[in-house]
Amino acid sequence: MAHLKDKASALGQGVVIFVYLAILTLIEFFVAVTFKSVSLLIVIAIIKAALVMYYYMHIYKLNENDGSDDPHSYAFKTGTNRLGLWLFLLSDGFVFAGLLVMRSNLLGLTHPGALDQVLGLAVTAVLLVSSFFMNRGETAMAYGDVKGFMNNTLITFVLGLGFFLGVVLVEWPEAAHKGLTVAFGNPTTGPMGGVFYMMTGMHAFHVFTGLVFLGIVWNNARKGLYTAEKHFPVEAAAVYWHFVDLVWIFFYPALYLIGTAVK
Amino acid sequence: MGHFVIVGVLVVVMAVLTYFGLDAAGLATQMHPVAASAQAAPIDQLWHWEVMVISFLFALIVVPMMYSLVVFRQKKGEMKDGEHMEGNANLEIAWTVIPLIIVVVFAYFGAYSLGEVRRVDPNAMVINVTGQQFSWTFEYPEYGFITTELHLPVDRQVVLKMQSTDVIHSFWVPEFRIKQDVVPGRITEYRVTPTLEGSYKVRCAELCGTSHAYMENPVIVVSGEEYETWVAEQIKIAEASKTPEGQGKILATQYGCVGCHSADGSPMTGPTWFGLFGKTENLSDGSTYTVDEAYITESIKEPTAKVVEGFAPVMPPYNLTDEEIANIIAYIKTLK
Amino acid sequence: MKGFFSSALARGLFWQVIGTLAGAGLVTGIRAAMGLSATATFFFTEPAWVLGGFLGALSFLVGSGVMDDWIKWMRGIDTPDHHEDHRTGVDKFINVSLDHKVIGIQYTIVALLLIAIGGLFALIFRTELAASELQFLTMDMKLFGQNGPQLYNTLMSLHGMVMIVSILLGIAGIINYAVPLLLGAQDMAFPRLNAFSFWIAVPAAILLLSSLFLGGFDTGWTGYPPLSTRAPVGMQMFFLGVFVAGWSSILGSLNVLVTVIRMRAKGMTAMRMPIFVWASIATSIIALTATQFIGLSFQLVMFQRLFGMGFFDPAKGGNPVLFQHLFWFYSHPAVYVFILPGLGVISELLPVFVRKPLFGYRWIAMSSLGIALVGFVVWAHHMFTSGMNEYLRVPFMYSTLLVAVPTGVKFFSWVATLWKGKISTPTPMLFVLGAIIVFLMGGLSGPPNATVSTDLHLHDTYFIVGHFHDTIFGGFVFPFFAAIYYWFPKATGRKMNETLGKIHFWLMTPSFFILTFGMMYIGLIGMRRRIADYDPALGIDGAHLVLTIAAFAIALSVLIFFYNFFNSIKNGEKAEGNVWNSRSPEWQVPSPMPAHNYEKPFEVVGEPYDYGLNDGGYVKFIEPAKGSKH
Repeated sequence: MAHLKDKASALGQGVVIFVYLAILTLIEFFVAVTFKSVSLLIVIAIIKAALVMYYYMHIYKLNENDGSDDPHSYAFKTGTNRLGLWLFLLSDGFVFAGLLVMRSNLLGLTHPGALDQVLGLAVTAVLLVSSFFMNRGETAMAYGDVKGFMNNTLITFVLGLGFFLGVVLVEWPEAAHKGLTVAFGNPTTGPMGGVFYMMTGMHAFHVFTGLVFLGIVWNNARKGLYTAEKHFPVEAAAVYWHFVDLVWIFFYPALYLIGTAVK
Repeated sequence: MGHFVIVGVLVVVMAVLTYFGLDAAGLATQMHPVAASAQAAPIDQLWHWEVMVISFLFALIVVPMMYSLVVFRQKKGEMKDGEHMEGNANLEIAWTVIPLIIVVVFAYFGAYSLGEVRRVDPNAMVINVTGQQFSWTFEYPEYGFITTELHLPVDRQVVLKMQSTDVIHSFWVPEFRIKQDVVPGRITEYRVTPTLEGSYKVRCAELCGTSHAYMENPVIVVSGEEYETWVAEQIKIAEASKTPEGQGKILATQYGCVGCHSADGSPMTGPTWFGLFGKTENLSDGSTYTVDEAYITESIKEPTAKVVEGFAPVMPPYNLTDEEIANIIAYIKTLK
Repeated sequence: MKGFFSSALARGLFWQVIGTLAGAGLVTGIRAAMGLSATATFFFTEPAWVLGGFLGALSFLVGSGVMDDWIKWMRGIDTPDHHEDHRTGVDKFINVSLDHKVIGIQYTIVALLLIAIGGLFALIFRTELAASELQFLTMDMKLFGQNGPQLYNTLMSLHGMVMIVSILLGIAGIINYAVPLLLGAQDMAFPRLNAFSFWIAVPAAILLLSSLFLGGFDTGWTGYPPLSTRAPVGMQMFFLGVFVAGWSSILGSLNVLVTVIRMRAKGMTAMRMPIFVWASIATSIIALTATQFIGLSFQLVMFQRLFGMGFFDPAKGGNPVLFQHLFWFYSHPAVYVFILPGLGVISELLPVFVRKPLFGYRWIAMSSLGIALVGFVVWAHHMFTSGMNEYLRVPFMYSTLLVAVPTGVKFFSWVATLWKGKISTPTPMLFVLGAIIVFLMGGLSGPPNATVSTDLHLHDTYFIVGHFHDTIFGGFVFPFFAAIYYWFPKATGRKMNETLGKIHFWLMTPSFFILTFGMMYIGLIGMRRRIADYDPALGIDGAHLVLTIAAFAIALSVLIFFYNFFNSIKNGEKAEGNVWNSRSPEWQVPSPMPAHNYEKPFEVVGEPYDYGLNDGGYVKFIEPAKGSKH
């Protein structure tokens, strides 16, 4: 399962997973509109997260034989770096978990009504597609295709930038315009604005850092620093990018779908 | 076996000594200070059991430790190692399982004791309590008066409905044993049945700012008749203070002004009101100002606009009606 | 002195000042352009101070050069795995080094410095408490924009947080120094990250202390809103400082976990690791994850102050109790972060001085993990009186009391280790024994706080203050001193003075007992926490005077320690061999340790604590095969 024989089947797997994720996202939206079932939304989010973690982030690699006979080998160091990366993501995950706790305590079964559902689904789709291209890019690099990596990463970068600008420059002003403010002495909106801007802001900050990493590995790939055997920075940037997507898998329903919309 | 017998005896002796030592300090059978409420009884009871177990566990660890230090000391010049003992699974299981049982039993006692403390009397008398920086005020809704002293009749359950106008405070009368935070934005409940007549103090137990240490108001527990007399007096005082000055004085209590501004010239967090009206104050920006109606009104609505020199700009703005402000000014004018 | 001005420390400090001014200037400029007020009581406005403080910390890191290699990597330039460090003496410690031993010592020195500062704060307010009424911190005095009681509150709050940061740095120091040596690793898994974790703590400490000069804050170390949303701008610097220090702790513990998982010597299976390594794992698991919650909760209050987001403001529909949940989710497990390494030191040192195996090794190792895991589900016992859902109090009482079980396992195992040993008591052992008894006091005074009904009386009183000083002294301070006395010869090749060490112990221990017993006693009578002044009617003036004298005696003993520490570096008795006759690998080679640790790698061939067994020892050094160049 873990090791696919050739590049074509690895890319094919990426497509299949993307289709699953896209369908699940649509079901999610449909469930929210029709049934308003919170537990169903949580189940779907967990399935999506598991798919991303296994097939895009390759969490199973933590368990791989990593050349532990020679502590100076690149394979051994990659194993060490990979563990460090995952522990960092675990730690970072607690920030987002804390934000979700805050959200459920303050908003309960309501969500901000000032949000544009179409825009929400659109930015979610953009991020999901970017994750798909990120996976293609990483797969290309794993088979030594630097050109393919650079092209796919460039698409990822553009989509990621689109998500970032879509949230910060389109969604924020629009929500603020509809009355979802951070409440400078405005008791009517309650903590809703605060929760929305804090969660999307924290996520957008991670998207921004992810873009920076993508830019760095793209530039270094251009210089020809990575090969099929030695490309841990590419893997790290990709896993981090998928992590940002993973967080959004939970934040999207938490902010847009769960419960009833409140003005 | 000899070592074990000696240590066993010593543990018992030490446990007994520890317990009686704590008892001699007055700490074993009840907590300090004197218990003055029905709720204190189950709390003190639980404390007593805990002290017994603590005394025993203290002896159980300290005695074998000290014994080993004395008896199994390395002699001078001796370089030998000790006996090779790696562990004993049965012993480990024993000192995991037995404490586990003790813990569960105590948690049960704790839950039971909590239930006793929270026992509800449906006929409890309601008193509304407001905490603010840095004083307490008490409203008796049955009679409609407000005081700064909490008077309670003995042997009758009261339920205090508590709220805060600013930050978190905590209502604690040590003699009643119980404590409850007072949180802005919600009403918390404090149920107590005083059992001992006397004069106590409610002390704010949650850090609430500069003068937190002084957020103490008298709590006076009296007999039923004395309580009735006191209530009648308070009603009379409330009737008599239907003048602007009288209303102003009540408002000053109700909004907690008295927590920071003294009426007798003594220094507190804010400038004293004694002789304030007509006085020329030096302001923190170097100018001077003669206190008049306009200044007091501004200082209530926007306290940081003109701060008197030597005081920190810590007062929050108060949104009072014009009539309320006029009454407070009338009251300040009387303080000379 | 010339060396100092070109050191990483000096460059970092210089750039921190520049960064702070740049950040603050930027906000001030924008505000001026928008027509908002550009200056305030402490010159800059609050948003200006916040951005300035944050950029200042970042500038420190870039300026000190700790990120140089990373920046090179980003630009695609490769760097050697190790940098040979030719610096000597003080220079070595005020510059960036990737050697875990140097970093461990750097951590320890900064921790000691912060202990001195935090202790000084304690002495100031302890003196004020010696008698009722305000003596020198009066309403009329004015310092740093604060009157007496405000200054009292600031010092008391800073005492708490400065000590917490110093403890985090102290355990990081011991772990950094000892763990790679115990594992037989050349260094930590990520040496650059390791240096970064240390250097980030320096600007963090500066930010934290700067709050004293910017109006202070009067909330205690807990920073509960709404009080913390009303405090002066010093509050923000406190939040920022803790936030940045939190990253030091998170990244440091990440490094420890990876090092333990990946870098163990041949043959070192889980149950053959030195026990201190187990303690480091347990503590790192907590620090890695839970720390994010205190960072988040403080960040939320910062944002509430800056942008008016009403998370904890009931007037806007926020919930002040939510903050307490987020805060204590870290801050309770945090005390296990503080004590677990200390308990590890006790278990590690005890067999050496008892000459007998550690009794029930597996049980002690597992009890550390047990404490860490149970620690995640007990946080709300700090909130029994907070007005949270009443029915939640009972399950939290059960989980809290459960902590007593693994802790009890440790105590019983220690006593059984002592039993029938051949006990000697040089200074490190004295501190180990002191730690056990003091921690026992802390442990036994715990259950009355855990059972809800008794806690209703004890909560927020000096009983709690006495209780946690017992746990922290027993779980951290005593073992920390023990560890320093124990590993000092390894680091320097010299021993600390034994007589001064004994004076330190015999002065500190009784004074400390008096201090904490006294605290618990006056707490029962009615002495509340965090008050600048107390009611003379309580009749505790005399007790307070005794406590103050005891506090000064402790301070004196620590001064003696400082003298001993710094004097012994140069003048201590030479000790280059296996001073304590230990089985542990680091003592099988001469002191001080060379830069890349063991010249020959070792293999684990026995149990770590099999004293009294004439086996082949714990480790065996692998002779290099002929002709190989390792």
